[in-house]
Amino acid sequence: MSKDTSRRHALRVFGGTVAGILSFAAAKTAKAVVQKGLVSTGAPKGYDPTKHKWLMALDIDRCIGCGFCVEACKEENNVPQGASYFRTWIERYVIKKAAPGSGNMRGECIVDSPNGGRNGFPPSLVPREDILKAFFVPKLCNLCEHSPCVQACPVGATFDAPDGVVLVDPNYCVGCGFCIQACPYGCRFMNPETRTAEKCSLCYHRITRDLKPACVEVCPTQARVFGDLKNCTPDDPIMHFITKNKVQTLKPHLGTEPRVAYAGMDKEVR
Amino acid sequence: MQRFKLPPQVVRLVILTVAIVASYAVARQIFVPKSFGQYGHYRGDALKEIASREPRYAGQKSCNECHSEVLVKVAKYEHKNIQCESCHGISKAHGNDPDHHDPIKLNDSLCLRCHTRDVARPLFLKQIELSKHYSGKGKCVECHIPHQPNEVP
Repeated sequence: MSKDTSRRHALRVFGGTVAGILSFAAAKTAKAVVQKGLVSTGAPKGYDPTKHKWLMALDIDRCIGCGFCVEACKEENNVPQGASYFRTWIERYVIKKAAPGSGNMRGECIVDSPNGGRNGFPPSLVPREDILKAFFVPKLCNLCEHSPCVQACPVGATFDAPDGVVLVDPNYCVGCGFCIQACPYGCRFMNPETRTAEKCSLCYHRITRDLKPACVEVCPTQARVFGDLKNCTPDDPIMHFITKNKVQTLKPHLGTEPRVAYAGMDKEVR
Repeated sequence: MQRFKLPPQVVRLVILTVAIVASYAVARQIFVPKSFGQYGHYRGDALKEIASREPRYAGQKSCNECHSEVLVKVAKYEHKNIQCESCHGISKAHGNDPDHHDPIKLNDSLCLRCHTRDVARPLFLKQIELSKHYSGKGKCVECHIPHQPNEVP
């Protein structure tokens, strides 16, 4: 009798285990199918990130500070309207003349960026006769090879994609803000609506569809040049830019190896 | 002959170790996203998710599908390198449904955003000081045609 009961018991335990494992596997498959169905809607097909290497280049001599790029970026990427949320912005550098007899090369450098340059710039407050030179500098994520933001992220929500873009995974970002502190270029901000870190994604949803980023699209003077270093011909705008200009990157001494190339940059630009 | 028997504390330790390793393996299976490690130490699917958003700016190619004659005309003049959506604004909705969505109407503030004089503007750009340039009666388009800026109507 006792032998019979123990066999029944053993069979029941065995059956339960098998059923548990099977239902767990089924649930996992169902979850994967649902996730796939939800996620893949509208995603571009046939884009392989390992076959591209994107680069943005900026010509300071051609930037006119109209702010179309800032406005387009906000519209395209649903960036909050406040004056401290920018994926790209424009700075105006006004360098004063050195005081007569001081022997200095140049005077004070005044940088302003009212509302990120989104609505253009009001006339500079520095009197014209005091100005040595002035220029506009568009800023955005520098697409570092050794990104401090990626190293700082405690949950691995930000990463260097194989196509050269540094991206934030909003589903895994916990909003701790370490990356915002880590970025030496001030290119990140905390989105007040989603409470996740945000930054320039080079309009990833556009470049994967063979469109240019919104800021490059609307730039009226071609101060912004965008291209794919892995698939470009010698007459591609990005190759032309690198060949024609002497290019430089921001804060090269930090060892972040930024990839965004600037032409016509002055020593004051940080 | 006495058979060699593992001491009970060692057996318990082995069972405990196996249990811990197994539960770690199971937990990893459950919690690590499937596409993790596809390209690196992150979720490979995140790239697809970020890319799945719909673009809002249509791009010059889309404009060219219907308005190619305008683009040919503009290409002869100074504004040839300006993309349509720089001035006309977001036009994806207009491209998808031209009858119900109009691109934004142009106004003088758009002209002035580029052509107002500023110390930092490069000299290749034609710049004006509104108070000295503008008679104050009409609008920019009374004297200038945006698509053919070199010509006067």
